[in-house]
Amino acid sequence: MKLTLEHVTFTYPTGVRALDGINLAIKSGELAALVGENGAGKTTLVKMLNGLLRPQEGKVTVGGWNTADFSTAELASRVGFLFQNPDEQLFERTVRREIAFGPSNQGFPARKVASRTKAALETVELADSADQNPYDLEPFERKLLALAATLAMETPVLVLDEPSIGQDAAGRHRISRILKELHKRGRTILLISHDLDFCAENAERAIVMAHGHILADGTTADVFSQTDTLLKAAVFPPQLIRLAQTLKMSANPLTISQFVSAYAKWRNRKKKL
Amino acid sequence: MRGNSLFVPGDSGLHRLHPLTKLILSLFFLVLAATLPSLPWLLTAFVLLLPLAIWGGLLRPLLKSSLAVIIPFVISLSIIQGFFTPGETQLFKLGDFVFTLEGWLAGLKVASQLLLAISGALLMMLSTRPDQLMLALTNAGLPGSLAYIVLTAIQIFPRFQERAQVILEAQQARGLEINVNIFKRIRLLVPLLGPLVLSSIVDVEERAMALEARAFSRAGKKTSLLVLKDSGWQRTTRWCLVLLMIALIGFRVWQVFV
Amino acid sequence: MIRFKEFTYRYPNQVNPALDSINLGIPDGQFLGVVGPNGAGKSTLCYALAGFVPHFFHGSLAGGVYIGKLDVQQSTLGELAGEVGLVFQNPFNQISGARFTVREEIAFGLENLGLVRKEIERRIEEALEIIGLEEVANRSPFALSGGQQQRVAIASILAMQPRLLVLDEPTSQLDPQSTQEVFRILEKLARRGGTTVVLVEHKLEWLASFVDRVIVLSEGRVVLDGKPIKILADEELKKIGVGQTQYSLAATAVKKKNLVPKSKSLPVTLKQAQSFFK
Repeated sequence: MKLTLEHVTFTYPTGVRALDGINLAIKSGELAALVGENGAGKTTLVKMLNGLLRPQEGKVTVGGWNTADFSTAELASRVGFLFQNPDEQLFERTVRREIAFGPSNQGFPARKVASRTKAALETVELADSADQNPYDLEPFERKLLALAATLAMETPVLVLDEPSIGQDAAGRHRISRILKELHKRGRTILLISHDLDFCAENAERAIVMAHGHILADGTTADVFSQTDTLLKAAVFPPQLIRLAQTLKMSANPLTISQFVSAYAKWRNRKKKL
Repeated sequence: MRGNSLFVPGDSGLHRLHPLTKLILSLFFLVLAATLPSLPWLLTAFVLLLPLAIWGGLLRPLLKSSLAVIIPFVISLSIIQGFFTPGETQLFKLGDFVFTLEGWLAGLKVASQLLLAISGALLMMLSTRPDQLMLALTNAGLPGSLAYIVLTAIQIFPRFQERAQVILEAQQARGLEINVNIFKRIRLLVPLLGPLVLSSIVDVEERAMALEARAFSRAGKKTSLLVLKDSGWQRTTRWCLVLLMIALIGFRVWQVFV
Repeated sequence: MIRFKEFTYRYPNQVNPALDSINLGIPDGQFLGVVGPNGAGKSTLCYALAGFVPHFFHGSLAGGVYIGKLDVQQSTLGELAGEVGLVFQNPFNQISGARFTVREEIAFGLENLGLVRKEIERRIEEALEIIGLEEVANRSPFALSGGQQQRVAIASILAMQPRLLVLDEPTSQLDPQSTQEVFRILEKLARRGGTTVVLVEHKLEWLASFVDRVIVLSEGRVVLDGKPIKILADEELKKIGVGQTQYSLAATAVKKKNLVPKSKSLPVTLKQAQSFFK
């Protein structure tokens, strides 16, 4: 489902101009990463997509719908949203009920709600905790719970605000796997993350923001190699690209396997010299 | 002050009064509410409160908040007392029930007592920073932990409001429609009470840990960045008010038992 | 010298101990990194250093924790707060709730320590500058973003100038540049200030570049202990559930393809990677 923001501007009541004439179009089925410093406007931008915030100037469309014509609840049928602070969105007595909340609102019969809930629980590997109170879970588990609650709605668009914070290596792998699977199934995903290595591994497109502006927008390999631009947004290139640049490999590898192939080529070239 | 307290920033004379003075003032109005004999007295007392509000530049917030709180009480008390308190002057009949003037006035009296007490408290909360009040209390000898409890209690309602707002947003983002009529909206809020209370309890634990990490329970003298200004006339006024309160209560008790 | 002596701790109503026979010595002024999978006991270790285990959480314990001559079990939380600073994991809930501007929030701990007003004011300005909060100094701590709140928490504890500083994932909400700044501040405190710093983190590349020593916790036990270069390149890490830096992973992959002799030790930082891959 295509997403567009046209000349979107938004200033908070405190006077902070969070978005300044933003133009952005996300293609249907694209997995894009949004990076940039704290306060750059990333969360403000994504909240435009489900109507939690409304543009003061400009227009936002989700799959052809002008968000101005729809309530947040209506947009929620198209855009699933994972909040940065999972504790903010948890309010049910048990893990199961929390996950079931979304599908119930979508009006599905009980059986479908149950099967969606079960599937989501298994995806995040929280099936054993299904009847526990969310507040009895560890913080990283609550994040996974919030993710499951979002996934259960099976929306065509997913917005994930810092999904990998607080996760250990296994948790990051799990979330990576989930993202890749969703991408394969054709979902449109917009990912906010400070972890550029995580973004490099998963996203095909990267957008860099600072002070309410978009500084760069393109393929991940391209954007993540623009060190100067990234520095302006208080981020650094992912480790593999930094290494490739230091070795002057003239390649922008995003994954280990890409690095290995690029390295092999580079070594061959060096040998020939 | 987003979501913390009712405090409305300002630089008026009322704002600059020592917190204890304002605390005692509001207690004074509470005692007036409890001891004044009749409706005219109570309404007069309320009118006397207004200049204080004007002095603080807080007339509008005060009226807005206190009327918002009091109107449901006025209605319900009028109905209950109007119908069920015995009286002679019949105003109208509803089936077998008689609505009397005396009953209605009795209801209005209770409502005005509430109005006076609540306005007194509101006046203090609107013009006093909670942490200044806490400092004043600890300086006067209140144990730090008790002062903190008072401070937290003041913040409970704004906290709840804030949290409820956040949860409602999250719920909308998962398909819950809130653009519905007022009755449905109230129904939406009711199931939130449980989670709000629970998250407040969780909050309390984490808050307690944060306090400990800042040496809150450390024995020994504590200093203060804030300086509270007091003055002789305020001290005198406070004592006078306290004596007046004791007198009023004493008088009332004497009236009741003699 | 900070010492754990056969320290075992079990939370109330839990079957398995969260920390199991921990023996650990941390010399004064060391910058120690703590890694491990979620649930390994890293936060519990932090709590044990600051006395929350057992004074706040109760539960059962054996052995002891000593900070110099101070016996954590025999001291109260109030006494410990002057010696040990703890920055908790949850960035959203470390605001005291007792103060209504950032400046006063930072002052709160200092007031509790009984410092004179001039000293409090000086430390506040210093903390605001070090951590970059000057812009929001007069705002309510509740009106801040997660990243800002996390910085306020760090600043508030830093201002107390504890001898031992314990931080549990203090950069989780911060962008990479701010993260680097925090690591720099901590390194300076250890290096120049003589503060002992214990830092729990998942961000391995930063740890590798800044800390003196790394311990790996798994299921309540210290399973690896040594210099970052050695520990973070250890083959066992994958089994334990701790990741590795991309440099190490790339090096392993490249070794598998025989592009580099198998004997070469895995790089952990960019610098090491540079010489490894040349």
